[in-house]
Amino acid sequence: MDSARRLGPAQIDVLAQLAVATVLLGGIYALIAVGLTLIFGIMRVVNFAHGEFLMLGMYLAFWAFALYAVDPYVVVLVSIPVFFVVGLVAYVLVMRGVIQASHNVQIFTTVGLSVVLQNVALVAWSGDFRFVRPWHLSTVIRAGATIFNLTQVVAFLIAVALTIALVAFMKWTHAGRVMRATAQDRDAATLMGIDTDRVYRLTFAIGIAAVGAAGVLVAPLYSVYPTAGLQFVLISYVVVVLGGLGDMFGAMLGSFIVALVEVAGSYLFGTAWKEIFYFILFILVLVFRPVGLFGQRGAETLGV
Amino acid sequence: MRHRPSLVITAVVALTLALVAGGSHGQSLSGEYKIGVLEPLTGNLAVQGKLHLEGYEIMRDLINSRFGGVMGKKLVLAVGDGPDPTTVASEATRLATREGVKIITGTFSSRLCGAASEVAARHNVIYWESSCVDPRFNKRGLKHVYRTEIDASGFGWYNVEFIAKHLAPRLNLKPNQLKIAFLSEDSSYGQGVTESARQRAKQEFGMQELMLEYYNWTTLNDMTPTILKMKQLNPDVVHHIGFGNDAVLFWRQSKEQNFLFKALVHAGATGYGGGDFGKALGNDANGVFALLEPGPGFRLEALRPEGQQIEKAFREAVQKRTGTYPFGAHQLAGSGLWLLKLVLDRSKSDDPEKFNAAVMALDMPVGSMINGWGVKFSEVGQNANDRVQHYMLQWQNGQLVTVWPEEFTTLRAKWIPLGAWDQRK
Repeated sequence: MDSARRLGPAQIDVLAQLAVATVLLGGIYALIAVGLTLIFGIMRVVNFAHGEFLMLGMYLAFWAFALYAVDPYVVVLVSIPVFFVVGLVAYVLVMRGVIQASHNVQIFTTVGLSVVLQNVALVAWSGDFRFVRPWHLSTVIRAGATIFNLTQVVAFLIAVALTIALVAFMKWTHAGRVMRATAQDRDAATLMGIDTDRVYRLTFAIGIAAVGAAGVLVAPLYSVYPTAGLQFVLISYVVVVLGGLGDMFGAMLGSFIVALVEVAGSYLFGTAWKEIFYFILFILVLVFRPVGLFGQRGAETLGV
Repeated sequence: MRHRPSLVITAVVALTLALVAGGSHGQSLSGEYKIGVLEPLTGNLAVQGKLHLEGYEIMRDLINSRFGGVMGKKLVLAVGDGPDPTTVASEATRLATREGVKIITGTFSSRLCGAASEVAARHNVIYWESSCVDPRFNKRGLKHVYRTEIDASGFGWYNVEFIAKHLAPRLNLKPNQLKIAFLSEDSSYGQGVTESARQRAKQEFGMQELMLEYYNWTTLNDMTPTILKMKQLNPDVVHHIGFGNDAVLFWRQSKEQNFLFKALVHAGATGYGGGDFGKALGNDANGVFALLEPGPGFRLEALRPEGQQIEKAFREAVQKRTGTYPFGAHQLAGSGLWLLKLVLDRSKSDDPEKFNAAVMALDMPVGSMINGWGVKFSEVGQNANDRVQHYMLQWQNGQLVTVWPEEFTTLRAKWIPLGAWDQRK
């Protein structure tokens, strides 16, 4: 009856809404992955504690909102310097000691850091699910039949801006050039008089600042709890491998590809299938193009 | 010497007074009796685990102060923290070997009770589960394993009972005209409830199943695709077993997408049934149904006298300690421990065979205990569906209140059908 009449436009509406869902979800993944790929690209360290810094960002948003009623969009400005310092401290206390060590040692170190941070959060703030509910939480923008969640739109825009800013920073500033030089050949960079320790410190701090800000931005969308980071970190790895470890535009595109696979898989085959699809994609990329779709040459030889 | 007779008299009077005072609340207690309690006190399940432990502690104090302890002894709890199956197994071993307990109770989660009971059985320790609902729990041929709560299939049974006998008439539909969409997280709990609900909905009432979808809640970041799919199918009732963030996500994104359906039914203290759901959504949570233990609105008068006595005492004790009406976790733990006391007082021994005989001999009708429960255990140690009365609660302005069965409550279900999202006030 009238469902048949509606079939055409209704299907187009659904398709449009699925496209919007893909872009907005991809924006969240990109926001989280950009710091991870930066740290990997320059330092050649896979930071397994990445999700926990995201979780700390979410808690910063929660406490600022719960105690002082500060909107997450204000907190995000504060979070960048705060997490820059957190990144510096984490680098000096934990990462500096293992930066020259083998990948196995680095993996154990960052996994250890991840477990420590989860449990510190658990002891300090308990395992309760917490929520940030600013007034704009459920605000939606309607364009015809498609619906945009404002918080996700903002996350998307910031992800794009952040990626562009980081790429520009890497490409056109002296510090960026120095960072790239260090990434290409650590020993040669040292011989050229580059203080590689300083480069790594800066890289780690920028990467953590990015993920801390991401945590603040996604806090209103999801529950805040000590293992909240795990929900996203696995996907972030898929994203950065897909995009090519160390490639920031690649990470962005990888995010949209993963989001597309997830949204389309959920819609067409059921939510239970979404992980199967993006992990198949992950394996295919590793087999046929181990540097990732847009990755740096040589990344595949690092054995991580 | 002159003082001695008066001393004796004083002592006798004091002793008599003490006995009389004690006698009004049961006999005085001699010695201690220790049982093991396993709960997830850290990790993802910690919120519920701590509430369960609180329920045990409140009931322990009540039993010791007003109901004569267990077997005439003061009841003592040895607590172990089991956030995951591996840890819960090693803690069960510790309780059985180092603490030397003969009875272990716990564990709230379906992820934990299997491992904990397995270890208990290996040490010939009685395992007394008060709240996990994994249907496989007592189908593994383990000895001396009991469960006071119904299993997940019982939850599905009650959910469909509610949909067919309460929702359908209020929607002016026959049960076989109802269109249902089944959505669930993929744990053994979610699957147990969903599969039994599907079976009963189809076979007994001929309801129309529009879709079935399982997902892993820990990796779920967006439910828009699922909601769009459901929106096209246009179900009357959404049967959704949520766990945590997924329930909030589904509800929030359904509102964003203006997905309209007539009712959402959930079961259990996770997801829609947890306090977090109300905290996350405020009055936007209005209208959701969750099958649980009784909450505000529950009519004490609907219970038998012995049920009223313990329900009232427990509710007051919880109120005194926490300042709130008992949560489901309190009620499950409290009723489980109370029933354990009844069994031990009858068996007068923790010898597994004597204990088993006392359990099997119990036959109490609905309304005899906390939550209005009754007792009748099956051969495999499972309390019966129709004795363990369950209740439908509904989110109404920030609170989960009892709305069904109507003879047990003073409050009534609202927003049937749910109507527009901004009209649920």
